Amino acid sequence: MKKRLGIISLFVLLFVAFIIVWNFSYQTGLEEAYIPITNEVPVLEIPSEKGVFMRSEFALEYLNMPIDEAHQRSLDTYYNNRAYPGAPPSIPHPLLKGERGIGGNACLQCHQNGGFVAKFNAYAPVTPHPGMINCRQCHVSQNTKTLFTATNFAKVHAPKVGINNAFPGSPPMIPHQIQMRENCLACHAGPAAPKEIRVTHPDRINCRQCHVPSDKVVTDIEVFTRTNSNYNE
Amino acid sequence: MYTSITDRRKFIKKMAILSAMTAAATMFPGILFADEQEEGIPNGANLDWKKAPCRFCGVGCGILVGTENGKAIAVKGDPNSAVNKGLLCVKGYHQTMCIQSKDRLTHALVKKNGQYVKTPLSEALDIVANKMKETIQKHGKDAVAMYTSGQSTIPEGYVASKFMKGAIGTNNLDCNARLCMASAVAGFLTSFGADEPMGCYEDIDHADYFITWGNNMAEMHPVLFSRMLEQKSRRGAKIIDFATRTTRSSTASDRSILFEPQTDLAIANAICYEIINNGWINKSFVEKHCNFSKGLTNMGYGLEDNYKFKDKPSTIDFEAYKKFLEDYTPEKVAKYSKVSVKDIKYLAAIYGDPNKKVVSYWCMGMNQHTRGTWMNNLVYNIHLLTGKISQPGNGPFSLTGQPSACGTAREVGTFTHKLPKGVVTNEKHRRLAAKIWKVPYERIPAKPTYHATEMFRAVDRGDIKFIWTQVTNPLVSLPKTGRYRPAMEKDSCFVVVSDVFPTPTSDVADVILPASWHIEKSGLYGNSERRTQHWDKMVDGPGETTPDAWMTIEVAKRMGYGDLFPYSEENHVEEIYNEYRQFHEGAKHGMAPLEVLKKESGVIWPYVNGKSTQWRFNAKYDPACSNGENFHFYGKPDGKAVIWQRPYEPAPEVPDATYPFWLNTGRVIEHWHTGSMTRRIPVLHKAMPSAYAEFHPEDAKALGIRNGERIKVTSRRGSCILPASINERGLPTKGQVFVPFFDENMMINDVTLDAFCPISKEPDYKKCAVKVEKV
Amino acid sequence: MPIKSYLAHPHSGKKNELIEALSSIEQCEVVAAQNKDVIILVTETEDTNQETILKEKLDTIGSLKLLAMVSGFNTPQNN
Repeated sequence: MKKRLGIISLFVLLFVAFIIVWNFSYQTGLEEAYIPITNEVPVLEIPSEKGVFMRSEFALEYLNMPIDEAHQRSLDTYYNNRAYPGAPPSIPHPLLKGERGIGGNACLQCHQNGGFVAKFNAYAPVTPHPGMINCRQCHVSQNTKTLFTATNFAKVHAPKVGINNAFPGSPPMIPHQIQMRENCLACHAGPAAPKEIRVTHPDRINCRQCHVPSDKVVTDIEVFTRTNSNYNE
Repeated sequence: MYTSITDRRKFIKKMAILSAMTAAATMFPGILFADEQEEGIPNGANLDWKKAPCRFCGVGCGILVGTENGKAIAVKGDPNSAVNKGLLCVKGYHQTMCIQSKDRLTHALVKKNGQYVKTPLSEALDIVANKMKETIQKHGKDAVAMYTSGQSTIPEGYVASKFMKGAIGTNNLDCNARLCMASAVAGFLTSFGADEPMGCYEDIDHADYFITWGNNMAEMHPVLFSRMLEQKSRRGAKIIDFATRTTRSSTASDRSILFEPQTDLAIANAICYEIINNGWINKSFVEKHCNFSKGLTNMGYGLEDNYKFKDKPSTIDFEAYKKFLEDYTPEKVAKYSKVSVKDIKYLAAIYGDPNKKVVSYWCMGMNQHTRGTWMNNLVYNIHLLTGKISQPGNGPFSLTGQPSACGTAREVGTFTHKLPKGVVTNEKHRRLAAKIWKVPYERIPAKPTYHATEMFRAVDRGDIKFIWTQVTNPLVSLPKTGRYRPAMEKDSCFVVVSDVFPTPTSDVADVILPASWHIEKSGLYGNSERRTQHWDKMVDGPGETTPDAWMTIEVAKRMGYGDLFPYSEENHVEEIYNEYRQFHEGAKHGMAPLEVLKKESGVIWPYVNGKSTQWRFNAKYDPACSNGENFHFYGKPDGKAVIWQRPYEPAPEVPDATYPFWLNTGRVIEHWHTGSMTRRIPVLHKAMPSAYAEFHPEDAKALGIRNGERIKVTSRRGSCILPASINERGLPTKGQVFVPFFDENMMINDVTLDAFCPISKEPDYKKCAVKVEKV
Repeated sequence: MPIKSYLAHPHSGKKNELIEALSSIEQCEVVAAQNKDVIILVTETEDTNQETILKEKLDTIGSLKLLAMVSGFNTPQNN
């Protein structure tokens, strides 16, 4: 009797369990599929500032890098393939990955971190904005040396080195715009940096502690005048 | 601005170098000379270099100023200075350029019938002295006041204190350091009984973690930040930015954690809760070296005139403190601080890890706070509970904004309650001052009078009828200038302003005195790490410009106190410093003798037996420790530091439906404080020509504001029109507007609130409610 | 007052030594190349007599391999 009761209660238990499980799975089956939403973490980014420290992890490497004089660039060659100071440079070499190469698959392979490219016998300049990968939106290749018609376009004088200091020996101001070129180390350090503008102290990564822009962004900046003043002599 | 090479020999030399360079270039293609990068810079061989501390912030970098033919023409970092090791920031490199500004105040100006008339200095000083005497006779000693500065040199502050408290006999002396350092002072005094940081900048070379509390060091203390970055890249030290606004410092940090304004109080308590709850507390340190106390709460915010508050500390035990902290579990605090539980635990874990050395840095974010003293106490609590204090690489470190906020305002004591040693309320301290000053002891009043904000309220009420400001620009830097500007314009108060340049403050002056700038006089400054630095005069000032200390002395003489100021014009700096040194004799605060200061690029006090004390209260480094233990907090009578029970209390004015935004004010790297100097430096002005109102991009979008558009920021007190700045220098959190205060043409302090910390009396410039609209 | 410029070549590995030795002499001014083993030396003396004395002094410097003059100028006295 006891044994039978035990068996019955066991089956009753199993049956109840089955109903519960079945109901539960049926109910959950009715719910719509969903992916749990994690709390949104706001992206903290200041466009005009974010690039400043971008390559700073290489600062010490830059400091200890020997200088390869045989392959260094100069400001002349630097400005040679720019239509005007600040213009996106054109591509002075054949495209290694062909016409359809883009970003990480093509240009960035050399231009993200730089390095010596035997084929061109030169160091690849490092891009200051590796996040923008549609490179050829702005940078075009030079496929011919001739012009469609002659042009009167005259190159404006590029900023010169050595004349941007306010004081003898004081840190030079930044004589060019820095939009999309906030990352100073990209152009001012490493073997591809033009020798005239290669920084002697790449380990000091907070560049704008001492060097501030002196170039106007839109309108010319007048000297400080007191407009609230009721001062009269 | 370049000196042409008129000297024929220098020219020929240059030619000789050039031809040799050309020759070398043909022999070695690709040869590089340092000169090639500095082409066009005149050869600095004939410059005469002299050392000084930098004129600007409280970091106190050593500079070398190059002079040629009596003009300062170059500045470089002093490689011998332990502070900056040869590095400066953009302000420092160009500082001397301001003295050539065309609107320099070169002669005394006296207002006659609404017009400023050029007046011989001695005559102007007669007018000042007579007016002061007359006011005292008619209205009593407490009708005259002096408002000086954390930029006054040590001798300038010292003679101001001696003049007001010792000669005239009034405590109506306060300084602009009240607006920036007072909470730090009150924090140090309540927690340790002795002012100024226990550690020094060398902590940077040892720490594993830097936690910055509401502090944009990349722009405000850039040289120290560069030292931190160097440790980050060389040793892997980590920087944690804990702030209400994303800045250049956040970009360079390993982690940036943002919090809701004012909730830093709660988060600091939550960190303490975690430390105790997880057993990270350093039991033996706390038992041996700490007491627990609580003070009054619901103190108010000082918004009403004649507001008075005195804290009543009472001792509590550890269990009561532990019980109090139960309101500050990370879970509870996360709800209103907008900091995640994970981030609070992360911060606590850094402080709690016994194998990690942590330095906390803060400046105005914590000090300009209606609970600034509490906030300072709370960060000390964290360091005391974990025993991470007074050791190389471990400790709380309060940074300063002015070059001699420590040296002059705090050590000389140009506050209403202070004396060069101690406070006016203490009879022993008054007796010492009277003895050194050689004045009757009864003359020094025992009761403090007006702190900065209250002083200008008293001007407005007509209680103060004569005020003399030196080296400061209160009508740009005070909160709620909308009230204090008309106050200073009133006829009831005679205003004397001594300054180097015309400012909105000198605009309301009855007499303007032409002051010498920094290197046009000798002096001493004291920086944040207790380092005293001396400099010699390097160039002559224009016109009748005179050092402030000497103008004070001249007025004192004219008022009949000549016997108290027996100094000579040529040597007064030296004579005053030697007299002042007597106040601090002893192992706890000994100052280095002048001969040492002249030789070295700054010396840290306590200077004992020819040695600087880098870490105070630690028996290994500090000879003043006498209790036989490893640590001795000798500022308190029982040698123990105090862990304070300080709760979270809301800000006096919070955003609501009509004024929905927080207004936060601050600075930028290019300009220093009210900009009266840096805006006259072309390089800096060109880089940052005007103030701006910074918005979160989403707020800007919702309001339809575009970059550069003119925006009116309005509070219950006033308004200010500025260009909008979106996604530029910084990124405030949603619901917050940030405006730098350097621009006298866009006076954001017309908008700010003059609420202050009841204990320290330091105003809160970081929090009030505003609305914004396009104009 | 003769002013002369030279290219000074150091013995290998002794560039810094040479720079130090040369800069310690009062009448000498030194501009070192950053990436080559050559130093520009400019001398400035009161008269030819001192010039000869200086020349003798320079000859005794051990780290100096070769001294090649590039240019020479003479300026009237007291200018």
